[in-house]
Amino acid sequence: MTTFPGHRFALALFAVVIALWLVVMMAIMRNAALPPDATGPMLVVFEPGTTSQSAFAAITQAGGRPIRETTFGFIWVVDGIAGNFEAQGALGAYRELPISPTIAGCVAVADAKIAAAFGL
Amino acid sequence: MMAAATVSHRELPWYFAPLVVLTTGCVVAMVNFGIRSTFGHFTLPISEANLWPREIYSLALALQNLMWGVATPVAGMLADKYGPARVLMAGAVLYFIGMLIMASTGVPLLFHLGAGVIIGVGVALSSFGIVMAALGRIVPPEKRSWAFGIATASGSLGQYIFNPIAAAMISAYGWHTSLLVLAACTLLIIPFAVPLLVSNSTSAKTTAGETELTMRAAIAKAFGHRSYVLLTAGFFVCGFQIAFVTVHLPPYLAEHGISKEMAGFAMAAIGLFNVIGSYAAGIVGGRGGKRLPLSLIYVLRSVLVAGFILLPITPLTTMIFTSTLGLLWLSTVPLTMGLVTVMFGTRFMATLYGFVFLSHQIGSFLGVWLGGKLYDIYGTYDPVWWMGVALGLFAALVHLPIVEKRADAFAAA
Repeated sequence: MTTFPGHRFALALFAVVIALWLVVMMAIMRNAALPPDATGPMLVVFEPGTTSQSAFAAITQAGGRPIRETTFGFIWVVDGIAGNFEAQGALGAYRELPISPTIAGCVAVADAKIAAAFGL
Repeated sequence: MMAAATVSHRELPWYFAPLVVLTTGCVVAMVNFGIRSTFGHFTLPISEANLWPREIYSLALALQNLMWGVATPVAGMLADKYGPARVLMAGAVLYFIGMLIMASTGVPLLFHLGAGVIIGVGVALSSFGIVMAALGRIVPPEKRSWAFGIATASGSLGQYIFNPIAAAMISAYGWHTSLLVLAACTLLIIPFAVPLLVSNSTSAKTTAGETELTMRAAIAKAFGHRSYVLLTAGFFVCGFQIAFVTVHLPPYLAEHGISKEMAGFAMAAIGLFNVIGSYAAGIVGGRGGKRLPLSLIYVLRSVLVAGFILLPITPLTTMIFTSTLGLLWLSTVPLTMGLVTVMFGTRFMATLYGFVFLSHQIGSFLGVWLGGKLYDIYGTYDPVWWMGVALGLFAALVHLPIVEKRADAFAAA
């Protein structure tokens, strides 16, 4: 006699898949991070909680041109030099991705935090 | 909590254990459905790299969808004859070859052959319909609808997770490398299909009460069965509505001043809630009848669409619309597959579901095509939205007379 799994199995399966997905996304985002001398349109991610006004100020102080703000004020699509944004407190600068900048920015934040925590 | 179901079987290797079979079946569904949903991200980079007009890539994807629909009944016949696992493996190989051609050729005709015909057939052979056929033979009848639900939900989840991965990979590594990586991922289907070979084993092949008809006779008898014809007609509507929304909702939202990012969120909400809806539909189908929930889904779709287009389009109404629509999105699949199984048993389920799915794909084609055609004529999507509402009500009605019992010709000999 064999027992067939039920809802707990479904929940566990989907949770594992989502966890793996986050790991893969973070790894890819790490590779999408731009070197300091990169220029052009890019996604700049600040510390979560940074206000829209503070992020805007940091972008302009870095000599960048804000292109558009995302749903969260700490993630912006900008034009400028990647290293300058990081010097102004950005967690990272990434190639503009053909997916929602908000989602990409959130994954980038998670990646930056994990990298900082484990010294990667 | 769902009561644990049990089934007797002879000693089988660990990889034929129900937990393993279900897990791997779900992974196959995720990979199959997920990867094909990423092809939209490659439209621009491939067209630009080859200096092609957008039409060449679009034609390849249109061909792919057409071949997917046409090849599904054939895939079903092969699955019913040689076992679903072998068909899934063959599909993975074709999927892989098609994607290799897609990544490497600059010749339009070859591109249409690879990205259109070969991938289309590969997708059909390795689709979650074939996975469901395998699971349907393995799980006991009281768990069957749940298994169809989780397989469908897995396909939906695949769509949700592979899209951002593909987009991010294109940014990080370029389109060519990304396409090759995704092509390699299709080969994952092969090892993950191995546990589904259990559905070919003698303990699972033919259960008591299955028909002794030949395949040809079974197809003929099914098309002579009124409930099957009604089910097939209803599934046409599902394809029409889903394909129309997938392709034409983003431009419709843009016309109504919804930002591109909000539109992206709205489409993602469909995917996310679809996982929940598909799973829940499997549970509902397992607890009672399937035709009334199906009928209700189509009524709700019609009410939802009518409300959406009659009310002012705002970010809030858009999110409510897409989230609710997500719950109703592929929730028709486990119930439809469940009805096929109730009426005809598991022996020819892949074949007979294949024909129902062909009707779905014809509906999809018309939904996409008419959406564009009537927009060009009237300058608005409203006629097609209302057509979708009317078709939804039609589908709700045609499901009502379906008789949820084994068709006479398919009853035990």
